[in-house]
Amino acid sequence: MGTVQGSTQQITLSRRLSGIARYVLLAIPLLFLAVFFLLPLGLTILVGFFERAGFWIRPAFTLAAYQAFLGGPRLFVLQRSLFVAAEVTVLALALAYPMAYFLSMHVRPQVTRTVLLLFTVPFVVNYVIRNFSWAYLLSRTGPVNRLLEALHLTAGSLDWLLYSDFSVLVGLISSYMPFMIYPLWLALAGVDRRLIEASWVLGAPPLLTFLRVTLPLSIPGIFTALIFGFVGSFGESAVPIILGGVGYQLMGNTITSALDVLNYPLAAAMSSIVVVVMLLFLAAWYLLFDVPAFLGKIVRWRV
Amino acid sequence: MKRRVGVGLVAWIYVFSILLFLYLPLVPPILFSLAPVAGGNAPTVHWYGELWRNPVLVTSIKTSLLTGILTALLTPPLGLLAAMGVRELRAPRAVLLLLLMPLFIPGVSMGLGNAFLFRLLNIPPSLWTILIAHVLWALPFAFLIILTAMTTFDPVYLEAAYVHGAGRLRAFLDVELALIAPGITGAATFSFILSLNETVRTGLVQGPLNTVQTYIWSTYLQVGLSPTIYALMSLLILLTVALVLVIRPMMARRAIRVTL
Repeated sequence: MGTVQGSTQQITLSRRLSGIARYVLLAIPLLFLAVFFLLPLGLTILVGFFERAGFWIRPAFTLAAYQAFLGGPRLFVLQRSLFVAAEVTVLALALAYPMAYFLSMHVRPQVTRTVLLLFTVPFVVNYVIRNFSWAYLLSRTGPVNRLLEALHLTAGSLDWLLYSDFSVLVGLISSYMPFMIYPLWLALAGVDRRLIEASWVLGAPPLLTFLRVTLPLSIPGIFTALIFGFVGSFGESAVPIILGGVGYQLMGNTITSALDVLNYPLAAAMSSIVVVVMLLFLAAWYLLFDVPAFLGKIVRWRV
Repeated sequence: MKRRVGVGLVAWIYVFSILLFLYLPLVPPILFSLAPVAGGNAPTVHWYGELWRNPVLVTSIKTSLLTGILTALLTPPLGLLAAMGVRELRAPRAVLLLLLMPLFIPGVSMGLGNAFLFRLLNIPPSLWTILIAHVLWALPFAFLIILTAMTTFDPVYLEAAYVHGAGRLRAFLDVELALIAPGITGAATFSFILSLNETVRTGLVQGPLNTVQTYIWSTYLQVGLSPTIYALMSLLILLTVALVLVIRPMMARRAIRVTL
């Protein structure tokens, strides 16, 4: 009797150990993110309240960095960044949504796969390189100006094409729109066709069906794309340098210029503002939408 | 019927205009990289040879390739564990959100945060700090690719393996891993591509080192772009395009079919 009991105890113990081992394994990526993602963000927010000490920082609790940023001429940078990010998001959504709609509703799956693959290429090619190209394409003697003149649309070179709000918008849209296509397509591809058919059967015209059924059901995808576009362009550092010209400042390149003069608390305070904007968006997303259900269009949860 | 054809045509023209807008910037670097050598006026591939005569540049190419390969090796296992974790841990919503979060943060803020962490822990900038920044950036993508591959896998195969006497590990290795292997290879390739094309995060944690991309960026800031740099950009563009095309057959076809 005793031996039998002993062996069953051993079995349950080894079961439990293998169960613990599984959890430890599965926790590795979460631990990695806790240390190298969450902790750095926490440190950034902390350093924003530290004070400068020579070439580095000293732990303290001071609002000096925030006062320097929000009370000085740099406040304009925040306003401009918010405005530019909102413009980019609205324009990129307006461009990407109809395309995602067309691809998900009216195109055969094999063709859709090919088109989505075509969008992957410019998405992964380094966007700094792509923005260098825009600086050339939009320049005073560049192809865009020459084409416009050849078509007799303009009399001379347009000088507002480059180093302007316009060129920054072009650069940011081409940098972040590819990001936005996938969630939009994912949401639209996941809309249950039977609901659309039901709407038709009940006599709603196509436009009404879209407004009452398809559009509301694709809102989680729209919101995801909106976060990509807004947070990305709000904190962008390379595009304003390449396409904005001298003195064109957005949050991102103002952070890097604070780093150039070793003002770490100021850089951290500005970066904290960007991070908090992102966290607010993500919190809203988390509370409003069912994340697994949204991804569930791709990931069918198997329990 | 006729109207439908017209609408479809307009829609396709629209899709291709957007593709043109996104592909157009890939062309100028390639044209400038073929610039004639002083005195000539015919296009040459001279500048592609010049690349290898610059020791700093050659070192940065080596750093990039090494970082890329290590990122490709380290990220998929993490992505696989994460995808399994979402399936099996409690609170899958929170786990999902944490895994996708790095996608939503601008490169400057992430790089700055990492730089603070390394500096406060007295970890000097090295290949390893660059590698951590790259794995962090590639992980959400690798995770999503592997998660997609997993949807094509039916757990009934695992049941079959258990019935035939396989243990949990055995069944996982021989059955599940074998079937989602294309997703893992795809995730590895994509991680390499992302690492090769990263600038902003790298610049803040690299210290005295340089990857190809940060070399291009600092050259642009200090002396401007030259045909040699354009040749380097062209090589990077061509390599990236080639790798994306390599991924295509790897991607689980059935997953997309399930989705649609």
